[in-house]
Amino acid sequence: MDLQTTIENQAVVVTISGRLDAVTAPAYEKSIRELIDGGNNNFVVDFEQLDYISSAGLRALLLMAKLLKEKGGQVCFASVKGNVRSVFDMSGFTGLFRTENSVAEALAALG
Amino acid sequence: MIKIEHLSKRFGDLVVLKDITTEIKTGEVVSIIGPSGTGKSTLLRCLNRLEVPSGGSIQIDGVDILDRKTDAAKIRQKMNMVFQSFNLFAHLSVIENLTLAPIKLKGIGEEAARAKALELLRLVGLAEKADSYPDELSGGQQQRVAIARCLAMEPEIILFDEPTSALDPTMVREVLSVIRRLAKEGMTMAIVTHEMDFARDVSNRVLYMDEGIIYEEGPPEQLFENPEKEKTRAFINRVRSYTCRISSPDYDLYAMNAEIEAFCEKQILPKKTRYNLLLLVEELLQIYNPYLRTVVLEMTVAYSEKHERLELICESTGEAGNPLESPGLTDDLGVMIIRNLTENIDYQWLGGKNRLQLLMKTNLP
Repeated sequence: MDLQTTIENQAVVVTISGRLDAVTAPAYEKSIRELIDGGNNNFVVDFEQLDYISSAGLRALLLMAKLLKEKGGQVCFASVKGNVRSVFDMSGFTGLFRTENSVAEALAALG
Repeated sequence: MIKIEHLSKRFGDLVVLKDITTEIKTGEVVSIIGPSGTGKSTLLRCLNRLEVPSGGSIQIDGVDILDRKTDAAKIRQKMNMVFQSFNLFAHLSVIENLTLAPIKLKGIGEEAARAKALELLRLVGLAEKADSYPDELSGGQQQRVAIARCLAMEPEIILFDEPTSALDPTMVREVLSVIRRLAKEGMTMAIVTHEMDFARDVSNRVLYMDEGIIYEEGPPEQLFENPEKEKTRAFINRVRSYTCRISSPDYDLYAMNAEIEAFCEKQILPKKTRYNLLLLVEELLQIYNPYLRTVVLEMTVAYSEKHERLELICESTGEAGNPLESPGLTDDLGVMIIRNLTENIDYQWLGGKNRLQLLMKTNLP
């Protein structure tokens, strides 16, 4: 997994690529914790380049949402498609999070 | 007609036939199937005395053919063999290949031998090739000549040793149809073959050989529809499998993934199926993970080429209990994914082990 961040419209855009699984999820959680602890409250997670996600990855996303809720922050997912989308659908994640087709739409949704 | 008792054959330290006991009755067509290297051809070669068995006995119509006093040439006249690689005499024409043995060994006159040979060539559909030489014929035609040559000796039994395995797929049918015709005419035959549909169709009885023994035998309907033993089932359903053993929570997920991917690639499974299989494996490993300090897990991926079914079988030591219903699960995310990826999940406590068998869905979007 590779994780890159940029700041756009006062939100952190997190672009993840590769795999978000039992091996990589702890590193994702650590990076997100650091960003939230650093005072960032608005996030867009871009899944465009993510090839694989398992329940371990989903738990990392749930943790992110929980940490943000505690801080009054928000997150919107962008470009959830293909195999990753299937896993979102089969685990009921699709209705649980705000998801948009692109980063631009996700940023707009955060307001 | 043929009675085989406790037949064994070893080559040095290698035991090919352990203990074979069976009978082939007059007019019976017996197919011998099984994985490569399990002694099927060796069994035929022992019957024809091309190999000398290490132990046991073979009787043909009450005559002990392993007795040194028994004339091997006479046995071979009675029980002729068709080989995988035809074994025709390249320097003789087709008709000469057919007439040589009847003239030399049976003392039949040249004219009579030639007339009989032409009749047999007509039977296998090759009368017009009588004066051709083997290298002018296709593989399928050469094998049909070999069958006609075998018939020229008027054998009572024919042994076929993988008669189609050296042929292009297009030529298999022509050879099989000749064998089918012989079966209909009541010829006693023992056929080593990898052609499962043919074996099922032509035989009165099928022997499945594995581990140097007749592992299972029965009428084709029973053996192909309802094999009793695991190995027979795996062979009949053309099951290919990959097994890995995990005995520590610090297993290498990516190394396992690479091996599973290589297995999937070999079976030419679609990309989506591979993805779902890797996901299923990871989810299961996550569920087993808390127990892996004390429990050994064997995970088998089994793909049936015949039924296009992909199964995952998890066998674990430890206390009895379905891991998917364990109260220790942190959430139901993993189980939800597992249930979505599978068509059927079966848990059993079997032979002191937890056995979880999952049949994967193959029609996921």
